[in-house]
Amino acid sequence: MGKAITMRELAAADGQVVRLDPADFVPLPPPYDGAEGRPPLRSLTESQKQRLDDSLDGFTALRLPHPQNREEEDQLVRRFLEGVRRLLSADDNWTFLGPLMLRLDYCAKCQTCAEACPIYLASGRQEIYRPTFRSELLRRIIKKYVAPGGRIWSGFQGADVDLNWRTVARLGELAYRCTLCRRCAQVCPIGIGNALIAREIRKVFSQELGLAPPELHRLGTVQQLKIGSSTGMSPAALMDSIELMQEEVEEKTGMKFAWPVDREGADILLIHNAGEFLSWPENPEAFAIILEKAGISWTLSSELVGYDAVNYGVWYDDVQLARIALRHAEVARKLKVKKIVIGECGHAHKALTVVADRILGGELNVPRESCLTLLDHLVSSGRLRLDPQRNDFPVTLHDPCNIVRLMGIVEPQRRILRRIAPRFREMSPSGTRNYCCGGGSGFAIMDGLNFPDWRSGVAGRMKFKQILDAFAGELDASVPKYVCAPCSNCKGQLRGLLDYFDATRKCGIYYGGLVELIVNAMADLERPFITFDADLIPAVRA
Amino acid sequence: MPEIEYKDKKIEVDEDGFIQDPDLWNNDLAEFLARMEGIENMTEDHWKVVNFLRNYYLEFGIAPMIRKLCKETGFTLKYIYELFPSGPAKGACKIAGLPKPTGCV
Repeated sequence: MGKAITMRELAAADGQVVRLDPADFVPLPPPYDGAEGRPPLRSLTESQKQRLDDSLDGFTALRLPHPQNREEEDQLVRRFLEGVRRLLSADDNWTFLGPLMLRLDYCAKCQTCAEACPIYLASGRQEIYRPTFRSELLRRIIKKYVAPGGRIWSGFQGADVDLNWRTVARLGELAYRCTLCRRCAQVCPIGIGNALIAREIRKVFSQELGLAPPELHRLGTVQQLKIGSSTGMSPAALMDSIELMQEEVEEKTGMKFAWPVDREGADILLIHNAGEFLSWPENPEAFAIILEKAGISWTLSSELVGYDAVNYGVWYDDVQLARIALRHAEVARKLKVKKIVIGECGHAHKALTVVADRILGGELNVPRESCLTLLDHLVSSGRLRLDPQRNDFPVTLHDPCNIVRLMGIVEPQRRILRRIAPRFREMSPSGTRNYCCGGGSGFAIMDGLNFPDWRSGVAGRMKFKQILDAFAGELDASVPKYVCAPCSNCKGQLRGLLDYFDATRKCGIYYGGLVELIVNAMADLERPFITFDADLIPAVRA
Repeated sequence: MPEIEYKDKKIEVDEDGFIQDPDLWNNDLAEFLARMEGIENMTEDHWKVVNFLRNYYLEFGIAPMIRKLCKETGFTLKYIYELFPSGPAKGACKIAGLPKPTGCV
């Protein structure tokens, strides 16, 4: 059990508030029941500590530099409070004020949510990771410093928090200790979630203080809008990658065809997470093979942003969110496609199909569909000749939070797997009750400093436990096993997790998307599409 | 921003040691960066990887797909790890003076 800590202590502590000890973490099943299941967490180096504030728990997502003097400290507090005031104003926060106020006003503090949170559980119930902890901290700050009469009554209303720069910095970091998986909202008796509060805190830091993890903002949305993709991939680089993928498809399947790019009037504009092109090219390759074999009229786009479905704005910033969503819709409108189909990318589903509905008006409200329902349709239609025996290895399914819990797309991917993977088994719990992979809300791409240790050691721990449990009795490395994760971010996280625990070499656990399994089951392919070879997997940790 | 000392000059690097100004790169700096990665002697094969990465970056502004790197150099991923123990991205790209790969990669 983590150490109890009060909000007052959080504000007052001079050094690091919490020191995580892997011995407290939730135990893993064999072969990870010993030291292998508790790798030590790296600290920042001394020179990094001198520059950056890691005083919450020894990690930093925001990379806030230490304020150099009193003026800088005060400025941080002042700008934060101004930002919170704007967050509570209908003019400045028309996007999320309603849902935010519901969450701030109605939490009964029953704590049912705590036992649903994978980070709280995995960490050994660290108080600071309790889902209501950061929400409550924000509530108390609002009560004492922002609400009318706050300073006078605060002592009687549970508003006992002292706002100084450290409180602000630690609250900002705390907003990046939640993957926005919304499992807490699901178990709440009145449907209140803490994820949206965490996300709104991130928004204050980004929009008002100019503070966001560089991977999300400077190298993320800013780079995407400027160069075309958060990977830095320009249209020319995209075309070069497509050329290579076309060659690979021919080598693997004998199918020679030019991928449709910018084909006006196609039925479907398929938008992948551009990370697929660079890190998992077999995924776009498998999509191309399936669509081509099924005779679908489809196209990719080579317009700026039109080939990268990601929209990191959904995690931290409304302005960037809207800019990217509008760009996606504009690309589809110009191509005169009937609909956009979003590839295997969870947060892109949330951003473009759910959230963007509020900003896409008129002809920009192009119909959007998940790839999973389309694939379900194609597999069920019998247009593809499939032989499930080709997937004769253990398979389990990871449910990406944004596609499954948020959007309720539960059965399509399962109907497919029951058809093509004879040794498919569920994780427990699964479907809308799944655990987040631990890489949600941007964590999977936040690779700087020692953050990956926290991400794999803590945030992804419940998922890793689920994977081991799903394959119990078959963990011998000689039996290749496949975790099917139809989401780029989840795959990025799984890559890190499996590497962190050395689980591919030790237990034969591999991962990949859904389309790869479909193509691997194609009856007329001469050789398997999926290869299980630990030597072909790039390591993640330096 | 952290800095490294190179020939009495200070060079800005990011938190993971990737140089910030790609124009500062030259063969000598590459050898210096390689030593920081624990590679004492840059062989012909090391240079083959580094030069390919460098040229690809100059043409396209990013690092190539790993599959492309293997195909063009004729090296297996395993061999590239033997050359660059910290890997193609964190090792070879860093020595080739590329920025750290970003996005969902």
